[in-house]
Amino acid sequence: MENKNDKKSMFNLIKTLTIIGIISGLALSFVFQWTQPHIAEHERQALEKSIYTVLSDAEEYQEVEKNGLIFYEGFDQHGSQVGVAYKSTGNGFQGEIVIMVGTDPRQEKILGISILQHQETPGLGARITEEQFKNNFSDKPFGDYEVVTGSTEEPYEVEAISGATISVENVVQIVEQAVEIIRKEYGSGV
Amino acid sequence: MLQLVKDFKNGLWKENPVFVLVIGMCPTLAVTTTAENGLAMGLATSFVLISSEIVISLIKNLIPNNVRIPSFILIIASFVTFTDYFLKAFFPAIAASLSLFVPLIVVNCLILGRQEAFASKNPVSRSIADAVGMGIGFTWALVILSIIREFFGMGSIFGLEIMGDWYPQMVFMILPGGAFITLGILVALMNYINQQRGNS
Repeated sequence: MENKNDKKSMFNLIKTLTIIGIISGLALSFVFQWTQPHIAEHERQALEKSIYTVLSDAEEYQEVEKNGLIFYEGFDQHGSQVGVAYKSTGNGFQGEIVIMVGTDPRQEKILGISILQHQETPGLGARITEEQFKNNFSDKPFGDYEVVTGSTEEPYEVEAISGATISVENVVQIVEQAVEIIRKEYGSGV
Repeated sequence: MLQLVKDFKNGLWKENPVFVLVIGMCPTLAVTTTAENGLAMGLATSFVLISSEIVISLIKNLIPNNVRIPSFILIIASFVTFTDYFLKAFFPAIAASLSLFVPLIVVNCLILGRQEAFASKNPVSRSIADAVGMGIGFTWALVILSIIREFFGMGSIFGLEIMGDWYPQMVFMILPGGAFITLGILVALMNYINQQRGNS
């Protein structure tokens, strides 16, 4: 008798959890369908904005796939290419940093960067999103960069943010990685 | 009616989740770097708390005792996922700054704790009163904490620059250590006020 009861209660447990799971799943799939277009739209807008920020001369851009990597080529109103942007991802101090890096591969220089996503400490690492820091990378020749405190003198130097050495080093690494990739695909002397 | 008012007021001060019960510390300490984050976190948690207390109090008699915790978690997780999608779709800036801490509301012990201690034993009306009270209690605590930290750490409140450029920002206040110290001082202050009230 007891055995039978055990089985019955066991079945009850499974039944309860299954029903709750099904109802939750169903409800969430509707929520997902309702919110997904909005989320995708925000992401697209953020991406587009970052491309026009780093390729400031571009009037329109085109997504180009090369060897499985996606590049964004910017064109001015006459249709000539003004630069190439690449979305580069790497580890930050806390979690991932995603940076859009705009370059002019013909002149071998970085035009600008835009931070798409980060989880750095507010007030410290998060200052990588400030204009003053990002300007470090505008009109920078391709190469290995060095983080320095104080004002920058050499073209390969990047100004550090006090209290956020790791974040800055990471940004430099992610930018260098993007430069490396663009250089490989778009090569010099094209 | 009197009972409802009592249940509601309980979370505001007497059993304030942050300063008296000291539960839900992970978001309390981690996201209170700016007032905006603190408020958003408080509201998101309140929403999850209120909706899950309503649902759980409604179906409490249908859930076998042995699986009540997994059932609670399933229900809470559904509301949290809803909140996560909702914030990402309509408040992308807030979603980006709270990032990981929205999904982590699932394991906020304030929420599970209230289901276990209150919603699973009381009727819907009382559960709503309890959830709203606890939610507001949690929110005001987070907002106070984050206003203090943002003010000393960045010289601003709700992103509004107050102190100007001359202000030496105490960066320490927006790091984890600042959270512990601010929380400690506020808990002490609250105990002091309660003592004074008790004496008089």
